[in-house]
Amino acid sequence: MANVKGSSVCRTATDEGKPADWVPGGEKQTVVDPMKMFHELPREKLFITGSEAARESMRRANIDIAIAYPITPQSESMQQAGYLYDEGYIKEYYRAEEEIGTFSAISGASRAGVRSLTATSGPGLMRGMEAISSWPGARTPIIMLNMCRVINTPLAIQPDNIEMSFMLNTGILLLHAENQQDFYDYPLAAIMASEQVDVTLPAVVSVDGFFCTHARGPVEVTPEEYKLPPRDGWRSAVPAMDNENPPARISRDAPIQKSNFISYHMHSSWQQEVFAAVERSAKYFDKYLGGLIEVVNPDAEDFIIASGCAVSQAREAVRQEGEQGRTVGLVKVKSIRPFPTEQILDAVKGAKRILVPEFNQAGWLHKELCAVLYGRCNAVIKDGPRVFGGMTMPTEMVLEWLAEFRKEVK
Amino acid sequence: MLIQDNLFLTRSNPSGNGGVQFLYRVKDYGLSALSGPQEEISMIHWEVEVIKFKDPKTAEFEISHTTELADKTLKFYSDKSLNEFIQKAFQYFEELDSLEKMLPNESQQS
Repeated sequence: MANVKGSSVCRTATDEGKPADWVPGGEKQTVVDPMKMFHELPREKLFITGSEAARESMRRANIDIAIAYPITPQSESMQQAGYLYDEGYIKEYYRAEEEIGTFSAISGASRAGVRSLTATSGPGLMRGMEAISSWPGARTPIIMLNMCRVINTPLAIQPDNIEMSFMLNTGILLLHAENQQDFYDYPLAAIMASEQVDVTLPAVVSVDGFFCTHARGPVEVTPEEYKLPPRDGWRSAVPAMDNENPPARISRDAPIQKSNFISYHMHSSWQQEVFAAVERSAKYFDKYLGGLIEVVNPDAEDFIIASGCAVSQAREAVRQEGEQGRTVGLVKVKSIRPFPTEQILDAVKGAKRILVPEFNQAGWLHKELCAVLYGRCNAVIKDGPRVFGGMTMPTEMVLEWLAEFRKEVK
Repeated sequence: MLIQDNLFLTRSNPSGNGGVQFLYRVKDYGLSALSGPQEEISMIHWEVEVIKFKDPKTAEFEISHTTELADKTLKFYSDKSLNEFIQKAFQYFEELDSLEKMLPNESQQS
């Protein structure tokens, strides 16, 4: 086989130990319009783990390069990525030395203009945070899968999404998947939104580890012969570096590197532009995901607002309340950044009580909601139930909190 | 994928441990099939209970270990083997329902 056409790297059948007529899987796929992939193509229902759902998403994402360092519960997904590399759906893939190296290298790949994927969990995210927080300012569209787990001592590897709170103010686009289906759909949407010329930002898709990654659930997937369009590195807010014509500067404007008034001013306006770009991404997520939020029972007085796995537990609580003749509303927050302030305000305009269950100690979603709803909504907003450190959130717990809340706020 | 016939409800594991629960219903009896997270994909399995519903409309049920079908929690390691069991269970539940309807009539006659 000749060098892979259109690829940034040259993989030959000989290099890969494949038969001479081997064709990489990605080369056999057909590029399809993203809106057609998200909303029109027929879907087959599989019953697979979250890690396998991530693999099927990556298979269709036209990934040029993946770089990662293993950490539970992310490891299994990136093992699956290894299979995709072997099959030729990911053009280049390697295990970096650790997370700072991983996230620095993936930034370099994105600056070079190729579609770049990485993944991590809890402590790995913390270790690489210095590099991660530089991605938005560098305007690097990177897709990172984030399988949340406990980050602090004592050591635990169970679900806890406190790590998401560390990314809220970085300028990263941040989606929170509820289940295996979301962990298939959201990365594809995040890639396309992050690479739009008026966005050009990294995107993270978080999921609550183990509960989703290591459990099976129903996932409807599009035919594997279709893939997303490739990244166009020149169609960006900051053009890709031309590595074939050095020198290429990482920071393009010398004054920004100096400690003087001009540099502070430039840095300030640069940050404003990054966060404005986050807001501009909302229109893309809106059309790719069919809205930044999902609303159940919009006319209810009692609402639950949740993201991630807490949505599933809340969904069942809403169903059981319905069996008892009580209507409880649910707002599923799909996108944390951009935060769907106006959509949530509109959804809960008639609410009297809002409960915010979370899988973390800090209650970051509750704080976000209070910040945007304060003075604009008449409902009482209650933080809880909150479980963390790997604790579970049985449906009964949500139901008990709802009953107690009704007694507290008449 | 599991059989979709007589599927009464699909929901996240109500215990909060992650995974999914399928509830099948044939008249008053049914099956709960629960698949939770495991460290390795190969370890993922189904835990199945025979259940008896408490109410004709809601999903409230109690676990039944008194039928001929199962006197304990059953484990299945493939969708295929569970689907075979589900098919047999559907037939059994139909017969059980008929028998249970006959019993009160017999007692009234005697």
